[in-house]
Amino acid sequence: MKKITFLLLVLFSLSAIGQTKYLTKTGTLSFEASVPSFEEVAAKNESVTAILNTENGEFAALAFVKAFRFKNALMEEHFNENYAESDKYPKATFKGKIVSFDFDTLSETDSYSHIDGSLTFHGVTKQFNGIPLTIKVKDNNIVITGSFKVLVSDFDIEVPKIVANKLSNEVEIDFNFELVKK
Amino acid sequence: MRKKLIILSAIIVAAIISYNYIYQDHRDIESESAEFVISTAEISNQFSEDALASEQKYLNKTIEVSGTISELNTNEITIDDKVFCQFSNPILNSINVNSKIKVKGRVIGYDDLLEQIKLDQCTIIK
Repeated sequence: MKKITFLLLVLFSLSAIGQTKYLTKTGTLSFEASVPSFEEVAAKNESVTAILNTENGEFAALAFVKAFRFKNALMEEHFNENYAESDKYPKATFKGKIVSFDFDTLSETDSYSHIDGSLTFHGVTKQFNGIPLTIKVKDNNIVITGSFKVLVSDFDIEVPKIVANKLSNEVEIDFNFELVKK
Repeated sequence: MRKKLIILSAIIVAAIISYNYIYQDHRDIESESAEFVISTAEISNQFSEDALASEQKYLNKTIEVSGTISELNTNEITIDDKVFCQFSNPILNSINVNSKIKVKGRVIGYDDLLEQIKLDQCTIIK
């Protein structure tokens, strides 16, 4: 009898561990590096995978560089070939942890938090601390949104002089993930 | 007078060519013919054996994959839990989970978090 209760307990706890992941395969990530009065330099990726472990706030995201869509097809081609070199570096990844994450305190109203983590893009990994984000619960899903800024020069990307004044070195990145319980 | 006309028409032609170059159209995956026609099991095997080489082989290519629908959403279909297909518009065809399907799309990469191959700009072949 004791054995059975023990087994049941083990099984129960195993299933509990299995239920602490929330994920999406269609998160959005967009960036903009426009300079006023020049053509818009912006792209959007709507197929980002993101996983949140609600036990400890660990978060991972994966975006395919080829999936960033620009309005202008030529700009998209140049971005892939000359700047992001997406054949060589097809992925952009983020791994981090939401600061003092507590699943039980989440509600339908926005709560504000921060995430610390490292972003890898174009073969360069850079640590970011205190990226602000908002978290809320919507229809039993966890919605995480936020934005932060990165520098083109931090990721070993060379911008030719001829376009340097049309492209901001400071790039604004917006993210939006609606994570579903798995 | 004639010289001026030639110069003017040359400028116009150059302007049209450069305009068409700068504002060229996006790739139209739907009208492209697939470079690879493959089953989900086969492509997924290739990726789990050698993710890097397979990525080189398939990245940014238009492919056709066939298998059984394992998950269905408004804009996405997952086939055999191995290939994730994203559509640009909501899927209107009446399809169901567990039915057979063949989809054409562009390979954007191998998702090693979920061990799935991702396609975008998909269309249903049958």
